[in-house]
Amino acid sequence: MANAMGRLEIEAQFVALGDVKRRLPGVDGVWVFVFADMMVFALLFGSFMLSRRQNPAVFEVSRHGLNPNFGGVNTLILLTSSWCAALALNAVRKSRFVLAKRFIAGALLCGFAFMVSKAIEYTEKLEDGVSLLTNDFFMYYFTLTGIHLVHVFAGTIVLLVLWFMARSRSFDPERPVVLECGAIYWHMVDLLWILLFPLLYLMR
Amino acid sequence: MDEKTSLRFQLISAWCGPAFLVTFVLFWGVIGRNIPNPSPALSAADLAARYSQHLGEIRLGFIVALITVVLYMPWCSYISARMARIEGGYPVLANLQLIGGALTVAVVSFSCCFWAVAAFRPERDPALTQLLTDTGWLVIDLQYACTTLQMVALALAVLADRKNKATPLMPNWACYLTIFCAVSFFPASLTGVLKTGPFAWNGVMSYYFPYFCWLCWEITASTFLIKDVRRRMRDFESSPLVDGEAPREAALAS
Repeated sequence: MANAMGRLEIEAQFVALGDVKRRLPGVDGVWVFVFADMMVFALLFGSFMLSRRQNPAVFEVSRHGLNPNFGGVNTLILLTSSWCAALALNAVRKSRFVLAKRFIAGALLCGFAFMVSKAIEYTEKLEDGVSLLTNDFFMYYFTLTGIHLVHVFAGTIVLLVLWFMARSRSFDPERPVVLECGAIYWHMVDLLWILLFPLLYLMR
Repeated sequence: MDEKTSLRFQLISAWCGPAFLVTFVLFWGVIGRNIPNPSPALSAADLAARYSQHLGEIRLGFIVALITVVLYMPWCSYISARMARIEGGYPVLANLQLIGGALTVAVVSFSCCFWAVAAFRPERDPALTQLLTDTGWLVIDLQYACTTLQMVALALAVLADRKNKATPLMPNWACYLTIFCAVSFFPASLTGVLKTGPFAWNGVMSYYFPYFCWLCWEITASTFLIKDVRRRMRDFESSPLVDGEAPREAALAS
């Protein structure tokens, strides 16, 4: 009797747990990808710090050659972009596809703005005769921001695809897996920049 | 060819992947003195001295690696055949995988050949030895895109496989890992410019990490490919028909 009661209690617990059951956004593969990608950047940041310790004077002097305004504006652009992506996801979950499409367009425009700003920044540097062969600091500056820029470029293509998908309403409001995957990736790109910005532009 | 023989060839081909991996690491890496590999910042005289010092090993390593590298071919051939089953009528991705795999063998072979040539006359002008070494490394490090396409083609085909949702060739995470490993080669393009640091051809980002990713993908893909062949072999063993005519004992018994 007590046993049966116990079982009932357990079953009741399962029902309760079932109600609050949480699922992983996106597919598990995209998390594997994000984790692996973050590992690469961790490796890069580590080698940057090692190189910096060997030659602190060159790194400090070269750092002043960067314009922190570009870095700051880039940070704001990407944060806004990530916010737009999150709002788009929220809108799709409420089946408001037109709104979602606008937010995705906003995120996309921010992506373009980031690329344009980086192009201006790179041109400025190259015109000053500074390239990735100048010294170790600029080697890291160009390669780290360059690899990040490739991520931004890939992200804008993803956002473009998502925009077309929102337009044709091909998301399931209950489970918009593709949009979730795209947003997860785009947040990672944002997070990496938030780490890169102080590392290259601000750290004394 | 009867199906049992075909399945046996498939299993052997799938095992060629791990066989390639072991022989590649052993002959190309360890015996060929590529772990660690020579730095691009090394002077011509130092580089020539490196060859003379380990002449026997370098020759043996690269000459044998040039033979064992072809083990990659049956492996790719099997992957393509398996992908074509998934794709059906128009095996575009399967073909792409096959071409990418074949060219990967070509790229790896050519770079090895240049180092074998460099080791052929160690007494020649060190500048020429350096030229051949440079050529070998840039051949292998700048032409990774064939391998990238091969890997992405495989991942896309398996991800798009809706027919076999219950028993996919590889799980979802392995497909994304494949794509990640494929794009991890991109920093190697910087080997064409930089001679020191993590992006030089002996650096973490252009050598150790991408090569590790490539071999890591090989292990992962081979594991699932072999499992898949074994599963199909079991299905065949327990199927009631052989060659579409004679009923098997199992079928008679039931």
